[in-house]
Amino acid sequence: MDSTFENLNLFVNFGLPLLLLVVTYFIGNMIERKHFRVLQEREDAMHGFPVVSFDTMPEDWNAISSDMVSGSIVISLDYFKRVIAGLRGLVGGRIKTYEPLLERARREALLRMSEAARAQGFDAVFNVRLETSRLANAGRDGKGTAGVEMLAFGTAVKFSSRFG
Amino acid sequence: MRYVPKKVREGINVSDVHPLVEATTLIVGLTVIFAIIALALIFIVEVALYFVPADREARLFADWLPEDLITVAPSDDRLHETQLLLDRLTAHWADTPYRFRVEIEDSDVANAMALPGGLIVVTQGLLDEVESENELAFVLGHELGHFKNRDHLRALGRGLVISLFFTAIMGGDASGIGINVADITLRGFSRKQESRADEFGLAVVYAEYDHVNEAWRLFQRWDSGDSKFIDIGSYLSTHPRSSDRVAELQELSMQKGWRTDGPIAPLNW
Repeated sequence: MDSTFENLNLFVNFGLPLLLLVVTYFIGNMIERKHFRVLQEREDAMHGFPVVSFDTMPEDWNAISSDMVSGSIVISLDYFKRVIAGLRGLVGGRIKTYEPLLERARREALLRMSEAARAQGFDAVFNVRLETSRLANAGRDGKGTAGVEMLAFGTAVKFSSRFG
Repeated sequence: MRYVPKKVREGINVSDVHPLVEATTLIVGLTVIFAIIALALIFIVEVALYFVPADREARLFADWLPEDLITVAPSDDRLHETQLLLDRLTAHWADTPYRFRVEIEDSDVANAMALPGGLIVVTQGLLDEVESENELAFVLGHELGHFKNRDHLRALGRGLVISLFFTAIMGGDASGIGINVADITLRGFSRKQESRADEFGLAVVYAEYDHVNEAWRLFQRWDSGDSKFIDIGSYLSTHPRSSDRVAELQELSMQKGWRTDGPIAPLNW
């Protein structure tokens, strides 16, 4: 009877987190790969659409209309990334498991912005800026991170004739 | 000015270290580091034990009680009887530096523990489960064995340094660290420490009754699944498995030639 109890205790304390780690790794990895693949396809489709960070236009480009466009995404960590990042936090260094996550967020936000600009009939987006904000996890004294929001915004412009 | 679209190079912002490689490096590396630190801490505790002999410990903790211990009223019948039994048992440990005290924790979970300064805490739950004085005597004798071998300080010292260590890692508030019963009850002793405490406990029981009948009957009942419940924090989570223990105790009494039959003393409550 007590050996069953010991095994159960062991499983809850060590087995369950480990299982969760393995499962979330595979799920997270699958989602991430798929996202990168889709990002690549959509970026290819947007190829040639200028999205630049200049705050002024070259003089020979004649704009006839402009508007602000934005795109944002809220993205969350998976358990695996969180645990590994936590371990990394003990010794310091690059949090390598967060890098692809933020890369996805940036590219997704930029894509949403430029796709919106193109859908509205604009030819380019100038003065593009990126902003990030952390969404706190209400559950644990607001200490944990539920996810991050990545916001891309800029000035979309329509030209009288394309590129002067 | 002409705009020439270029394709962005893929993966500039992402390390090309596979996440599993990162995970393995971190987990293995940190485990090794923690193991080294843990060993160093255990060594420090051993050194500290050497510098705090039992008589000094007995003086330091003479009237000490853990802050979070909820005890029964001093007038409690069972407290009085258990203390009397303990006094009789400790008479067989002539040169003890401790003045042994017993406290009953108001908890339904059956457990017993040895705390600094000769304090033995038994729970209401344990007293509900023992059926004879001989059974209780062995449980108390076992805890006396921990004092004899100074296991209680080892566990406490390790517990404290481990708490400090984790607080340092988690960046928590160190002021919250104290000697808590919960900390101690969740930290068992090693197999070897338990066996040595059992040996001492059985010797005490034999010295008191001239036989060891019923000394381990409580564990036999637990082993046969007769116990009311098994819970985290119970006697079994900090003590060895009942079946192994009964076998060991039987073998020990055979080796020593201690009688396993004799009159049973009933409980006085």
